[in-house]
Amino acid sequence: MWWKNEEDLVESMTGTWRWASGLAVLAGLGVLAAFWMIFFYVPTEASMGVVQRIFYVHVPAAWVAFMAFGIVALCSIGYLWLRDERLDAISVSAAELGVVFTTIVLVTGPLWGKLAWGAWWVWEPRLTLTLLLWFIYIGYFVLRGATDNPERGKRFAAVLGVVGAVDIPLIHVSVNWFRSQHPQAVVLRPEGPTAGPEIVITLLVSLLAFTLTFFALLLLRYGLEKLRCNAEALRFAAESTRHATPVGGGVG
Amino acid sequence: MRDYLGHVWAVAAKDLALEMRSRERLVGMGTFAVLVAVVWSFSLDPAVRPRSVAGAMIWVTIFFAGMLGLGRSFALEREQEALTGVLLAPVDRGAIFLGKFLANLLILLAVEALIFPVYGLFFGIGLGGSLGGVALVVGLASVGFVALGTLFGAVAAHTRLGETLLPILLLPLLIPVVIFGVSATQRLLIGRPVAEVMGSVRMLAAFDLIYLFVCTLAFGSVVEE
Amino acid sequence: MSTTPPVVEARGLEKRFGFRTAVGPLDMRLAPGEFTVIFGPNGAGKTTLLRLLAGIARPTRGEVWIAGERVGEGGNDWRCRLGVLSHQSYLYPGLSASENLAFYARLYGIDRREDRVRQALADVGLAERAGDRVRDFSRGMQQRLALARTLLHDPGVVFLDEPYSGLDPHAAALLRRVLERLREQGRTVLLVTHNLSQGLELADRVVVQARGRWVSDEPRSAVDAAGWEAEYTARVAAA
Repeated sequence: MWWKNEEDLVESMTGTWRWASGLAVLAGLGVLAAFWMIFFYVPTEASMGVVQRIFYVHVPAAWVAFMAFGIVALCSIGYLWLRDERLDAISVSAAELGVVFTTIVLVTGPLWGKLAWGAWWVWEPRLTLTLLLWFIYIGYFVLRGATDNPERGKRFAAVLGVVGAVDIPLIHVSVNWFRSQHPQAVVLRPEGPTAGPEIVITLLVSLLAFTLTFFALLLLRYGLEKLRCNAEALRFAAESTRHATPVGGGVG
Repeated sequence: MRDYLGHVWAVAAKDLALEMRSRERLVGMGTFAVLVAVVWSFSLDPAVRPRSVAGAMIWVTIFFAGMLGLGRSFALEREQEALTGVLLAPVDRGAIFLGKFLANLLILLAVEALIFPVYGLFFGIGLGGSLGGVALVVGLASVGFVALGTLFGAVAAHTRLGETLLPILLLPLLIPVVIFGVSATQRLLIGRPVAEVMGSVRMLAAFDLIYLFVCTLAFGSVVEE
Repeated sequence: MSTTPPVVEARGLEKRFGFRTAVGPLDMRLAPGEFTVIFGPNGAGKTTLLRLLAGIARPTRGEVWIAGERVGEGGNDWRCRLGVLSHQSYLYPGLSASENLAFYARLYGIDRREDRVRQALADVGLAERAGDRVRDFSRGMQQRLALARTLLHDPGVVFLDEPYSGLDPHAAALLRRVLERLREQGRTVLLVTHNLSQGLELADRVVVQARGRWVSDEPRSAVDAAGWEAEYTARVAAA
């Protein structure tokens, strides 16, 4: 267990909670500021029109999704090395958020793509990479649930996290190469040469807001994981005393 | 080092001896591959020239036939928990992995040696005059495929879902091999010179080394409880 | 006995599966040549303990030493000194008896493999069945072959996990003779079983394990064979 006793748990939970609420307040302010800028501050981009504003959600979500995978990879290596439960808890928290933000990318991408490219889905390299990342995250969770021994599930998921982290850059290189081999209509790049200072500032604020949101949620989820483990431990202890009674006293 | 290679070969030779005895994987994978060719022939529009999609057809067949065999690889080890006996022996975990990898690779290459003539026969797909080039590309792509497949075959075999889990884990990770292997094979099959795919060959070789290195290291964490 | 350094030693050994503590915390040492039997009910963590000692399972806490080497760290020499017989045979059903042994002989780096394999098969009375597939063997024959596999590399330390389970009387008698021989040869033996009728007569040291801990640990001479069953039941119930 990560904690020695109830007091230790309460103390560490209080610490986690304090940090998480502080970050959450900052993140909330950041998101409010970012949304205000997205809707009122930044001028409508000339060639794309109003749909280009999705870009300020899409890009930060992608950034956070990949950062989450980086955290999963680092914690997975650490977990395989040290078998520290805390690293696994961070890893699973980051992976869950990774799924959420990857899903945001995969939803906002086609919404924008329908207008930019005239099709819901285009095998654009970065979108493709995100889709594959999403599948790797799904595999991560399927693996955790697919073993009777939870320790084994954590270990296998960590192996996937490590191999996935090595593979993601290779996938990136490959899908880029694939696109370069198959030229198609020039994709309108949202961060094209027309990006004015308002666009850049809005994007930066949005990136910051998403990053803060991610870490606030990560801390909350990590605290939740700790509580979940504690609840499971208590349930287990209660069950074993109940089962133990007949063995101890019921022989005669 | 001599010990290490000796152990690699001992594990591989044991798997190959088992396969030569039962032929369950060769027969299963080979039959599956031929049947997939039959399915292709009925599912392709007559207007499509098989030659222009040959690389895709052949590789889809290889990947799915291959996963069939990779799933079995560790089921063999778990029948009487023989893998535990191997782990008890003074053998490096990496050597066990490489032995399993080598046996799986040789079995897959044997099935591929069947797939190409069958597709040649059914669809009139020649090798485009470069047997060596095709063999090189297919061999390199198979190495990457089998390296990842052996590792995740071991993972899948130790889960409740077993072999059904393998494609879910393996296919997303396999995309680099798919992209370079399929496109290079396709080019060679339509008669382009080998020099044109040398870039892909180098990429595949680099991927192979990375996958082999990572999977050999990671295998210890998979089998150790 | 206390002066000789232990050949197997565990310090603070503990293994958890989730929240269930399967073994420990446990400190133990086996002196060279000692024949120890661990009795315990199902689920007492006996198999897990053997797996930890044999380095197949990774302890949650603590360390294991065999012949002065730390288990699970770098070196592999200790593996050559250890033989493990389980209720699973660790054999490949698709290979013949001699192929199975030859495979393990290669892994253990044994010289003059063919002679060694032939000798090992003769020792367990399977010389005539050397070329037959293990799949066609009876449970007793498979267990005899597993015994040959365990002793193939002449280990000084032998772990046995429920070796008698599923054996016919003939195979059980053979196993009994082999165990006696191991004892005479001065090998360190650790046998775990839930079956009280087996093992007691061979033991130097008798341990009762329940709920992952050693409830009692005493020399065989302190154990009264007639009253052992009642004594054992009481100890397990008290755990």
